[in-house]
Amino acid sequence: MGVIALDRLEVRLGGRTVLNGLTGELRGHAVGLLGPNGAGKSTLINTLLGFHEPSGGNAKVLGLDARTDRMRIRQSVGYMPENDSFIGNMSGVRFVRYMAELSGLPPAAALERAHEALFYVGLGEVRYRKISTYSLGMKQLIKLAQALAHGPKLLILDEPTNGLDPTARQRMVQLIKEIRKEGSMHMLISSHLLRDIDETCDEVLILNKGRIAAISNIEEERRSHRNFIEMEMTGNTEAFAEKMQAKGCECARFAGGRVKVVMPDALGQRDLYVIAAETGAEIRRIQTRRDSLEDIFLRAMEYEGGRIDHVSLPA
Amino acid sequence: MNAAVDTIRFENVSKFYGEVLGVNRITVTLSPGITTLVGPNGSGKTTLMNLMTGLVQPSRGKISVLGLEPSNATEFFCNVGYCAQFDSFPRGLTGFQFVLDSLMLFGMSEEDAHGLAAEALERVQLDAAAAHRNIAGYSKGMRQKIRLAQAIAHHPRVLVLDEPLNGLDPMARAESLALFQELGRQGMHVVISSHILDEVDRVSDRVVLITGGYLIAQGNIHEVRQEVRDKPMQLLIRCDKPDLLASKMFAVNHCVEARLHADGRGIFLRTGDVDQFYRVLNEIAIEGVVKIEAVAPFDDNANAIYQYLIGSDGSTT
Amino acid sequence: MSVFQHDYRPYDGPTTALWKRPLVLARYGLAEAWGSKITVGLAVLGLLPCVVDLVLMYLADNPVAKMLVVGGSKVLEINEKFFFGVLETQCWFALVLAAWIAPRLVSFDLGDNALPILLSHPLSRFGYVLGKFIALVVSLSYVTWIPVLILFLYQCYASPVPWAAGHLGLAVGMFLGAVVWIVMLSLIGLAVSSWVKWRVIATGAMFAVIFVPAGVGGIANAILRTKWGFLLNVPVVMSELWQRLLGAPDIFNGRLELPNMAIAGVLIAASLACVAVLNARIRAREVVRG
Repeated sequence: MGVIALDRLEVRLGGRTVLNGLTGELRGHAVGLLGPNGAGKSTLINTLLGFHEPSGGNAKVLGLDARTDRMRIRQSVGYMPENDSFIGNMSGVRFVRYMAELSGLPPAAALERAHEALFYVGLGEVRYRKISTYSLGMKQLIKLAQALAHGPKLLILDEPTNGLDPTARQRMVQLIKEIRKEGSMHMLISSHLLRDIDETCDEVLILNKGRIAAISNIEEERRSHRNFIEMEMTGNTEAFAEKMQAKGCECARFAGGRVKVVMPDALGQRDLYVIAAETGAEIRRIQTRRDSLEDIFLRAMEYEGGRIDHVSLPA
Repeated sequence: MNAAVDTIRFENVSKFYGEVLGVNRITVTLSPGITTLVGPNGSGKTTLMNLMTGLVQPSRGKISVLGLEPSNATEFFCNVGYCAQFDSFPRGLTGFQFVLDSLMLFGMSEEDAHGLAAEALERVQLDAAAAHRNIAGYSKGMRQKIRLAQAIAHHPRVLVLDEPLNGLDPMARAESLALFQELGRQGMHVVISSHILDEVDRVSDRVVLITGGYLIAQGNIHEVRQEVRDKPMQLLIRCDKPDLLASKMFAVNHCVEARLHADGRGIFLRTGDVDQFYRVLNEIAIEGVVKIEAVAPFDDNANAIYQYLIGSDGSTT
Repeated sequence: MSVFQHDYRPYDGPTTALWKRPLVLARYGLAEAWGSKITVGLAVLGLLPCVVDLVLMYLADNPVAKMLVVGGSKVLEINEKFFFGVLETQCWFALVLAAWIAPRLVSFDLGDNALPILLSHPLSRFGYVLGKFIALVVSLSYVTWIPVLILFLYQCYASPVPWAAGHLGLAVGMFLGAVVWIVMLSLIGLAVSSWVKWRVIATGAMFAVIFVPAGVGGIANAILRTKWGFLLNVPVVMSELWQRLLGAPDIFNGRLELPNMAIAGVLIAASLACVAVLNARIRAREVVRG
């Protein structure tokens, strides 16, 4: 059973059809939600949370129907919205406690878990100050803390690294990875930063113009295709390229000593080093080019009409 | 002093807001091309940009932008375009009107303004239909594009952008970066502040690191990296026997520090002499005892410089 | 000796019933509302008239004291008219208190866009409004029917002649009158606070909403030469209602014959308008058109 199951989901807002027949199932532990602005990501999240009513089709979150079981879904979900969302007049602890109690925790347990969540995300003494005095990074963390406090089964994070400076961003990504490793929560992360999604998610759902452009399992993509090699070389790269081609490999040279090679299965990295030594070149940098998320994303954008498919790699 | 006409120069500039520090004793010269300002939130980046665009006056020190001083308002502002971080617009305007009005402030005729506005909107790839809708209905990405259009419409020679990619989806980010690179190639001064360091790596000609109001480093990324001498170059080598590789490298004295990667199939090595290091590595690879899968410099980028020089100074709690 | 790990752990414990969640809101709302010294000050001020009333009642019921102070005149008598005055005073104080408290309950949430996070918990929009409503009603009760009924009980105790049996209707009438007024005030308070962004303006708007239609009604009366304009006049409408509930003599002396149905109609219409405003403003997401 998937974490999120969509069945011809259609949502209309203000007279426009924003989500147009989404069908698919997401099973991953951490699912990335990608798509250009206006593709319907926020609307999808809002529909899963029960803020919008589907006008057609259906969606299931953790097996619960998004139309009829809204309250039960909200019980098991922790939401970290993209925009500023807090009660400025309260202290951090009080806010997280309040939210935990709204999720049904008895007051004593709520207080305990609020402090646990604040400790986990790394908010120290700051928790006793009013939220209106917090910096941007702290506000992001308090949103995450309130999402965690009641022990949800699904965490929905909307642009969790928005506006954070590099140190804070790294901490947030690290925190997300830890949560994923801990294993009791699934996550749905929406972000514009492909690097963040690449580092934290194992499956991506790409939306475009209200339809699904692709559902792709990044882990699987990463494990395939070991034969595309990218290198940075010094020395006689021309001779190197000629020799490679003579051996039956595709080899292309670029500016700055960059060389791209497609090797048949018979050859390995060591052979590259041998050939380089033979031809008077030196390999400085070598890596297997894996189909990066950026490629998957750009390819998905070129699909018209939104057929859901596992995005295949070039032959 | 002809060179002054082509640079942005700060000489011992300080800015205080009452008691609060904005920036302290900053001396830096920026040449044409893309310069990225990097630093934690509240480090003085926005102050620096405000100083550069003439929106605030320095408490001390001298600023000269392309040879012009901010006191010479009309000429100064014609040459500078500013795309701020904050998201507020005059109410009731459409996107097109907003850009048009900004242009008219420069005193040009309405015809000219129309033409330039349309051109700017096209450059940021905001389609005409959306441009004639009220800004209140725009998504975050569209607002960003309109702000950008307004900044470039009058063809300034200096473009100052405060986190211009905030809220843009991956394609729009790539397009904007391409636009900035194009502008940089044309000889404009493009000053961008950003937190996304791998994008900084990709497009910047130079970086300016600032924290707590002080200038920490400036220059080309690789040059700055080399100057951080107390941290030798670090490489990540993925191989099947990382411990064996480490001992071999230690044996030939080219390795200062070795650390195993968490997954056990890679090793981080630090070396004082990069050239020798590569030569030895190539020999080991040919030897074949250790199967080398990937080799890449690990810390020759903006992220590493940030960690080494700024680190957790700007931590949140 | 051990080293303790403090990792995240999931929650396995009991959860409270869904219907109790609005009560959590009410609890926190009450804490928020009464956390301010001004609220406490206003509430104390609001109870001062009751103290005065208590003294008057003591005088009225105590023939000796009455002789001393008033000297045998028939001016001071504890009857429906007296309690009508008491109720009216308390209810107008309730307006002041509501105008201060209602914005505190709602504006803090709306000001920083807390609704998406609030509503992402198992709480419906109706539950949210209900919780705030309960907090407001409880707060206003402290200055309306609770002190008034206590005064009634005192009168029952202190009266020289058997008083209670004949005047039970009075107690019921006062309770109902106060409750109707509190409910209206709460609805209006919540609606106005959700409509207006800043607390100070919301407070002012509360007063405006109560009194401005009175002016409009007066103008309508003058122009159209009718008495129906008085339906917009909240003080008049409420006075009429309380009079009828308490059985007090008509202070308008028959000049004003507003039928019961009309009064009920106005109150219901106003309530529906408030509910409509709340429905529009209490949303997790704004729908942007165009």
